[in-house]
Amino acid sequence: MTINKNLNGSELTLGLEGRLDTTTAPELETVIQNELSDVKELVFDFKNLEYISSAGLRVLLSAQKIMNKNGNMKIINVNDMITEIFEVTGFIDILTVE
Amino acid sequence: MKFDLKGRIDSINASEIEKEIFDSLPDDEQSPVVLNAENLEFISSAGLRVILHIKQTHPNLKIVGVNSDVYEILDMVGFTEIMTVEKAYRVVSIEGCEEIGRGANGTIYRIDSDNVVKVYNNADALADIQHEREVAKLALILGIPTALSYDVVKVGESYGSVFELLNARSFSKIIANEPEKIDWCVDEYVKMLKKIHSTVVPSGKLPDMKETAVTWAEFMKDYLPDEAGEKLCTLMNNIPHDDHMIHGDYHTKNLELTADEVLLIDMDTLAVGHPVFEFASIYNAFVGFSEYDHEIIKKFQGFDREKGIEFWNKSLSKYFGTNCKAKLKEVEDKARIVGYTRMIRRSIRRGGLETESGKAEIALWKDELLQLLEKTDSLVFNVNELEIEAVKENLSDVQDYVTGYLEQVNCPKKQIMQISVAVEEIFVNISSYAYAPEIGRVIVRIEISQQPLTVSITFIDHGVQYDPLKKADPDVTLSAENRDIGGLGIFMTKQIMDDISYEYVDGKNILTLKKDI
Repeated sequence: MTINKNLNGSELTLGLEGRLDTTTAPELETVIQNELSDVKELVFDFKNLEYISSAGLRVLLSAQKIMNKNGNMKIINVNDMITEIFEVTGFIDILTVE
Repeated sequence: MKFDLKGRIDSINASEIEKEIFDSLPDDEQSPVVLNAENLEFISSAGLRVILHIKQTHPNLKIVGVNSDVYEILDMVGFTEIMTVEKAYRVVSIEGCEEIGRGANGTIYRIDSDNVVKVYNNADALADIQHEREVAKLALILGIPTALSYDVVKVGESYGSVFELLNARSFSKIIANEPEKIDWCVDEYVKMLKKIHSTVVPSGKLPDMKETAVTWAEFMKDYLPDEAGEKLCTLMNNIPHDDHMIHGDYHTKNLELTADEVLLIDMDTLAVGHPVFEFASIYNAFVGFSEYDHEIIKKFQGFDREKGIEFWNKSLSKYFGTNCKAKLKEVEDKARIVGYTRMIRRSIRRGGLETESGKAEIALWKDELLQLLEKTDSLVFNVNELEIEAVKENLSDVQDYVTGYLEQVNCPKKQIMQISVAVEEIFVNISSYAYAPEIGRVIVRIEISQQPLTVSITFIDHGVQYDPLKKADPDVTLSAENRDIGGLGIFMTKQIMDDISYEYVDGKNILTLKKDI
C-alpha cells in the first residue's frame, strides 16, 4: 500500500493506494497516531484503494475517534466492494462517506 | 486412366472439360481413374460437379497432387471424405535453418520469418502428423493457444508440418539470452500450465497418461528389488483418473513468444492425467536429465543446469502459489518418482546398460528412486491445497494462492475481493492464536463446484481447539466512541460468506467457509 499525504493548512488528505490489510494497516496507524495533532479536516481518498479488511477498519475507527475530538473526517471515492464492507459492519453509520 | 487438370476449372470451361474426360473414360466402370491436380490452380462448383459426375460413373476415383488451396476447397465440400484426395507435398529445405524447438517426435526449424517446420523423426510420419494436427485442433477448441499446422511438406526423406509462427522466440532462448527476464518467463510459463491443467478433455479424445505410466512401472519391476517394484506399481495404479489435460513435454523450448501472445507448440504428447505426470516430465527436462551429465541441459535448452534448477524451483513455487518448502518438496519428490521411472526405462531401452556412462547414470537415478519409494505412500498431491506456516508474514502468499485459484475459475473480481477479506480474517486469527507462542501449520483447501459456482474454503490447523462461531457478534449500531474493535473480523466473515461451519476432529480445527457466486 502507498500513502500519499497532502497537507493544506489544517486539512490533511491521505490518498491510499492498494490494499489496506493486516500487513499494511500498521503503516497507516503510525500516520494516524503521529500526524493528526494539528489537523482539523482529515480526508481519506480511496480512489485507488482496492481492498480493506478488519485490520484496516480498526485504523479508520481510531482515526474517527481522534477526529471526533479534533475536527472532521470524511472518506471519498469509495469503491463498491469497500462500501459493502462499510455497510455490513455498520461503519457506514460511523464514518462520513461521500 | 490418368487425366491432367490444369489452371482454372469454372463455369466457363467445366462442360468442355467434362466432355473431354468422359470421351476417354474407360468403359469398365471399376477401373481406376486418377485426376492429376498438380497444375490445378482453382476449381469452382461447376468444376466440382464434373468430379462428382466422374465419381458417380467411376467410383474408383483418386485425385492426386492437390495443392493446399484446392485441397481446402475439396475438404470444405466434403470430397476428402467420399474419395481419395492426395495432397501435393511441397519440398522444403532446412539447410542453414535455425533450430527453434525439439520434442520427443521431431525438431522444429524456422524456414522464414513467418513460418516454421516441424520435421518428424519417424520417416513414415503421416499418421503422427495427422495425430498431432488433431490434438492441436482439439486443444485450440478447448482454449489453449497453439499454432495449427497448415501444410504437410517433404523435408529430405522425412515429412514435416508447417506452422505460421511470426517473429517467435522460444522461452529457452529468452532465458538463455536475457536472464533478467526469468521471472517473467516463469509467470507466463505457469499461467499457460495452469490453463492446460484446468482444461477438461471430453472422454476418449486424448490418451490417458496413467495407462502409459503403469506400463513404465511394470517394466521397472525387472530392474528393482521385488518390494520396491511392487510398491512402484501400486503407487502408479493408485493415482486417480483425471480428465484434465496435460501437455506431456512441457519445457521452455515448447513455449513460444510471438509479437502479441504466448503459444504452446509440439502438441503430440498431449494426454489427460494427474498433474504429477506433467511435473515428472518438467522435472526431467530441467533437472533430472542432467543429474549425471550436467552439460546435457545446455545442449538441449541453451542455458546451464543452474538456470534449469532455478527455473524448476520458481515454476513450482509459482504454480502452487507458495514458497512453502515442505509443500514444494512434497510435489517434487512425487514427480521425481514418476520422472526417474520414465528416464530409467527410456535409457535401458536405448541400450543404457551397455555403456559405462549409461550404467552410472541409471545407477544414480535408481538410487534416488529407491530412497524416494521408501518414504512415499502416495503420488497424489492436491493442487487445491496449500500447506503453510500460520504466521502473518505468510498472509500475502495465502491471499495470492486463493486469489490466483479463484481467477482461474473465472470468479468475478468483486467476489474474489470479498472472499479475500474472509480468508484474511481467518488466516490472521489462526496465525495469532492457534499455536501461540509456538508456530504451527495450516492447510488452506479450496473447492469449487460449478453451476451454480460455489466456492468453499477450508482451514485446517492442529492448534488449540477454537470455534470462532461462538464469538458474540459486535453491536454494529454503536457510535464510534462506543465501538469495540474486537470480533469484527469473524463478524465480517459471517456477513460475506453464505455458510460457515466448524468442527473439531482428530485434534484438528476444521473451519469451512462457503460462498455462492
